[in-house]
Amino acid sequence: MEPMRQETKTAILNANPQAEPEIDEYERLLAERFTIDPDAPATQPLEATARVHQSREQRLQELHRKLFAVVHHR
Amino acid sequence: MANPVISILRAGDTTKSDPFTICIAANPALEAPWQTGQFVIDPIVSDPAAFDACADYINQSLFGGLPNQLEPVLSDPAIAPLVRVTSLFESGLPLADPNSLVAQDPSSNLLIARRAVFRAFLAARSLNADVVYAVSKSGTHTRASAWFTSDDDAQAGVPFTLDGQALTHRYQCLIPGTIAIHSASTSLTAVHEFHHAISSYSNGSIVDLYVDSNSALNCKRGRPIPFNFATYNGTAMASDMTRDHLGYPPGWQSCHCELIDPNVPAIMDNYWMAAPPSDPNACENDRITRQFVADRVRAKLSR
Repeated sequence: MEPMRQETKTAILNANPQAEPEIDEYERLLAERFTIDPDAPATQPLEATARVHQSREQRLQELHRKLFAVVHHR
Repeated sequence: MANPVISILRAGDTTKSDPFTICIAANPALEAPWQTGQFVIDPIVSDPAAFDACADYINQSLFGGLPNQLEPVLSDPAIAPLVRVTSLFESGLPLADPNSLVAQDPSSNLLIARRAVFRAFLAARSLNADVVYAVSKSGTHTRASAWFTSDDDAQAGVPFTLDGQALTHRYQCLIPGTIAIHSASTSLTAVHEFHHAISSYSNGSIVDLYVDSNSALNCKRGRPIPFNFATYNGTAMASDMTRDHLGYPPGWQSCHCELIDPNVPAIMDNYWMAAPPSDPNACENDRITRQFVADRVRAKLSR
């Protein structure tokens, strides 16, 4: 995953100087998505896998809404 | 099929029926948003010049051809002539699932490769590839991403060890490494994503180093940072104790392998943060990543 541009990070922090931990969490969760083979045969119950996936995606939506409320992607 | 234009950018090993191949394809349809089954035309199919320029950029960057680029990637004289690079441009295809290689993430400006459709899309045009770039000209989503390769672990390969674990650089894959990239991408973006894509879910994955990632080929977890990062194929490799000038943030548990050039970030780290007068293009790999990628490509070239 391409790293976030510094100007995007600066714009988020200008809008909310306390946002650094949330930017880190957002970026970590986005990167984590790609480390799990979405097409691999299930190694654990499907329900458990779906729960982890759903919880990550919900958190990403929340963070995206919050971080990019007043900042546009660059 | 509409009017596929297939170009051979590098012939590769013409003595083989299945040479190691990288394909660069224009994305016919965008899934917007991701995982909704809603498709719109990708503007790239109306802009063949932008596609050609992007294909040229990718081809140049993979073979060390960017200004100030130091990482050889595939430019080793023993590797470069054997790598096949093709491009595929096709317009006028129906807006449907099989023709959509790229999706727009609703939670970011990431372009996401719809990896499950790539192989059939290429096969319908008598193409095959180990790594595939899908090029988009989305008006809203510009950030590239990649999925690792799903190896065919039922087939042969070249064995290696990682910290005593027996793994294999597989000759064949079930799903190739897939990359979604914007036509305006620059610098090491194509190279960074190539490293993800050539790596493997089951035989060594190359992860992002600019977040506190989980363990992988190029990332370990634990504090204090150990002097020895890993032993790859019998060779001990040291840790990067300082993460060049970036430093490990307090609270991180991950650590990285020693850098080839400790003055610039690793290619899999935040190459945009190369401190002037360094240039992002001058970032190089860490030691284990460079060796692993070279070995994996050599294994595939030998099939």
